[in-house]
Amino acid sequence: MDKSSSQRLPPLKRNWWLKHRFFKLYMLREATVLPLVFFTLCFLAGMVALLQGADSWQGWIAFMGSPIVLLLNLLALAASLFHAATFFVLFPRVMPIRIAGHSLPDQVTVAGQWAGVVVVALLFFWLLVRSGA
Amino acid sequence: MNMHKHDVQHKQAFDEPLWWGLFSAGGVCFAVLLPAVILFIAVLLPLGLLPAEALSYERASSLLFSVPGFLFVGAVVCMPLFHAAHRLRHGLFDISVGNDALNKKLMYGGATLLSVLALGIVVAGFLR
Repeated sequence: MDKSSSQRLPPLKRNWWLKHRFFKLYMLREATVLPLVFFTLCFLAGMVALLQGADSWQGWIAFMGSPIVLLLNLLALAASLFHAATFFVLFPRVMPIRIAGHSLPDQVTVAGQWAGVVVVALLFFWLLVRSGA
Repeated sequence: MNMHKHDVQHKQAFDEPLWWGLFSAGGVCFAVLLPAVILFIAVLLPLGLLPAEALSYERASSLLFSVPGFLFVGAVVCMPLFHAAHRLRHGLFDISVGNDALNKKLMYGGATLLSVLALGIVVAGFLR
């Protein structure tokens, strides 16, 4: 079956990753999806509320404002930024870009991706703040 | 026995690139889109920091229940769900919880179900 190599190697203890900073950061990166899943479930609930009607939609906004939900979603925001920081540095390694025989420095592709994050945020600002009022 | 093992390996080579591809695409969406989505929808909106009409019931409905809304949900809900499913599956393996064959079905199955639900809601709202 998948990952059958574990059957041949001596099994690792569950806390193997606590023994080194590198592995702790690896596990933290894996854990970024936990608050992401929380936000996604909130978002799905919001979509259902929107389908149900105006009262449900207002109720959902109030639910999103409750302290624990807000706190977990702030955690999701932090997790998305941490994930971005770890994910963007992989891009130049997986897909090095060469222009006219010169490879683009890693910092340029990483900065380009952060620029993408900013552009998306500006789009939201334009859609919801500038033209939404 | 050997034949069976060969079959399994053949199947693995067939589906694993799909999960890694979805993981990668979902990772891009998570990194580039989700910071802004979470900031505006899950932080600024409930705190009342957006203009009152920005995501009123009428405006939110017309934004979500549309063709761009369908694509938005695909990029903001479905793709990141497969990214999360992949990380959860491998994370569970790393801390020796459950068995991988079952976790795989549960995680990717769950991501598929929620994705179909999310896109179905958009279609239902669009046809209303």
